[in-house]
Amino acid sequence: MRLAPQSIPYRALQKVSGFVVVAFFVVNSNDWGLPLAVGVAGAMLLAAFGYETAYYRRFDYELTADTLDIASGVISRREREIPYRRIQNVDVSQSVIQRAIGIAAVDLETAGGSSTEGSIRFVSPTEATRIRREVQRRKSGAGGESGTGSDTDDPATAGASGGSAAAETELFAISPKELALVGALSFDGRLIGLLAFLSSGSFPVLSGFLPDADAAALTATALVAVGGLFLVSWVLGAGVAFSNYYGFRLSRAGDELRYERGLFRRYSGSIPTEKVQTLTITDNPAKRALGYASLAIETAGYAPGQNGDQGSQSAVPIAAADRVYGLAREVESFGDPSFERPPKRIRWRYAFRYALAVAVFTGIAFAIDWYLAADLPRFGPLVLLLAVPPAAHLKWTHRGYWLGEDHLLTRNGFWSRTVTVVPYYRVQNVIDSRTVFQRRWGVATIVADTAGSGSLTGNEAAAVDIAVDEAVTLREALRERLHEAVSARRRQRSGFEWVEGDRGGEAPEAGDGTPDDDAGATARSAATTDAVTEADASRDGETDSDADAATVEANAEEPPDDGVIRPDFAGSDRDYSEPAERVDTGDYAVDRFPSDADVAHRNEGDDGDIARDAASADHAGGVSGAGSGGSDSDDSDDDDDSAGSDGDGGDDHG
Amino acid sequence: MTAQSLHPRVRVVWILRAALVAALVSLPFAAAAYLGYAPRWSAVAAGGVALVVGVAHAVLKYRRWSYEIREDALYLDRGVITQVRTTVPLVRIQHVDSRRGPVERAVGLASCVVYTAGSRGADVQIPGLTPSGASDLREELKRLAIRADGEDAV
Repeated sequence: MRLAPQSIPYRALQKVSGFVVVAFFVVNSNDWGLPLAVGVAGAMLLAAFGYETAYYRRFDYELTADTLDIASGVISRREREIPYRRIQNVDVSQSVIQRAIGIAAVDLETAGGSSTEGSIRFVSPTEATRIRREVQRRKSGAGGESGTGSDTDDPATAGASGGSAAAETELFAISPKELALVGALSFDGRLIGLLAFLSSGSFPVLSGFLPDADAAALTATALVAVGGLFLVSWVLGAGVAFSNYYGFRLSRAGDELRYERGLFRRYSGSIPTEKVQTLTITDNPAKRALGYASLAIETAGYAPGQNGDQGSQSAVPIAAADRVYGLAREVESFGDPSFERPPKRIRWRYAFRYALAVAVFTGIAFAIDWYLAADLPRFGPLVLLLAVPPAAHLKWTHRGYWLGEDHLLTRNGFWSRTVTVVPYYRVQNVIDSRTVFQRRWGVATIVADTAGSGSLTGNEAAAVDIAVDEAVTLREALRERLHEAVSARRRQRSGFEWVEGDRGGEAPEAGDGTPDDDAGATARSAATTDAVTEADASRDGETDSDADAATVEANAEEPPDDGVIRPDFAGSDRDYSEPAERVDTGDYAVDRFPSDADVAHRNEGDDGDIARDAASADHAGGVSGAGSGGSDSDDSDDDDDSAGSDGDGGDDHG
Repeated sequence: MTAQSLHPRVRVVWILRAALVAALVSLPFAAAAYLGYAPRWSAVAAGGVALVVGVAHAVLKYRRWSYEIREDALYLDRGVITQVRTTVPLVRIQHVDSRRGPVERAVGLASCVVYTAGSRGADVQIPGLTPSGASDLREELKRLAIRADGEDAV
């Protein structure tokens, strides 16, 4: 498939328009004359058009049965295949100009790599929608039981996975009131940060003018300036938020979530629910007072800092708190959390910390006063000490964690309170860290690390400052529940109980005993690993071919990653296409037909017939042999061979 | 397997690193002394203090470091100022590296890095192994990860 032809001029202009304008003015102002300037600009544009035409001709994407193939590149060429199962989210965006000329950008994210893995720029909007739906349909086709992915399988699945509008249920649509609230509660602090950064260098210069002016006028000007700055920041933030979240809509279609939003630049996309890593519910004091909260849905798709400006693509910007929790439960049913707070003594730690901060602040104020010889109240910041106990208490109140049925929930922060929902199944590793100060108070921090992008930006699920023994319990509980979740998934995935019992069962069962008798479990694990290493050593001691065979066997245990479930025969190296060899079991011969390859196709009658036939044939041969041997015993000298063979047969039979 | 400690020679690696840091710390002091802004002994003192702290840290770090492979997870316990205990479930292991940096090669050591899909994935590094120990550990972890038969959950 090709890109939209309109993308050639758009891409060309997008790339070089800035350069062209600059080059035009530079050349024009250097007395070389207008014709040359026009010529240079034209040449650049022409080169860009040429390149983009080549890019267009080279770019080719194709939706195959189980991968999305993209071949691209003019100078260095690249062919990329992305398995549908590995696609995390599909995002479509359109700016105003792109909408005007009818093109859209499609971005496909996988968990690997540092940038967007599949970037198709640009196709027509209908094609973008088609790609999104096809990817979704083929993914569910590849993952589910209908591996063929045929179009008209049966009406139910076709309706659900075909992604028709009818199957889509709306979860959330932003109302004008909520949109206004989003704007009102958005505050873009970057401008202030920038100005503070710029002015920090010029402070000594400014201070030269300070003593001349009237103190009151100075403070008034400062206040007005700061107020104006806040106002501008606020308006900017409101505008950005308004245009970002205008017309926000989140809906669910089958097993994927769809969103769309944006005033000038339209964003839309889909997230498979099975790819959701964590949910983050945030609020701040203002939102809490009004009863609102925000929700972000995280996948492993986005690389760090990739879309920091736009925020999480699929965040519900604001909604009534109970609705946000309802939405979150729709995605991950985590029940009703009741958070476990850190020990009360930890409030002293926070109080101490804040008091220290106030002290440092006072010291700075003192230093400024001394340096400027100004007559400002030196110990003014000490008033803040009054705020320390409530601040410490609030910090403590808003901390906590909760172990649910299938999820870990953590809560942190007062000004920006974040509740993170982590399904146990998504936990990648568990980190228990204790700083020097935490050890003094006998507390620890447990972080449940996931592959979600939120943990890269500091929004990780952390149970902060919980008592040490509790931390150890939590750590072990997380590990254990992860294993339960993994084996539950495996059971669900395989559907064969006997496969499960055969190999998956042993590890979690052994794990169950660990918290109860740690020493015992350790001893046991020591024993098993010792046994394992011994086995390895013995394997290593053997010849190369044996070692290879062992490796092959070990590799064969890993199920092929195509979604097809095969029974596990890796335990033996028997060739199942051949009948099993007969083993002499004495009288205890149970299975007369050990070749289980044709058991399924044989019925009772056949069995009996075959057995009877075999027996009667044998018997007949034996009888005839014996008979002939017996009757011809007199002239046995004539035909030595036949008599000998017959006699043997008779003996054997008897 | 009981908790394993690192090879004692890893302290050499860490002490060398501490010496490098100490040299870097003393550099501005030396420059200041050269330009006449600071007495000469300040560079020596700064370097000495940094070296003593670094060596003490290296020794304590070695004492603290331990790792253990249990039946379903890899446990690491480390850190002097901030003690960190990491649990890496074997089902979550993506791939395992054994690596040898120039300093490690010089003292005949190697390290083993375990990757998960977690955002802190590459953090799990076990230093101070013998070269054969590192590749054995790599193979062992690979085998256990295959046996654990997990999905990456991404």
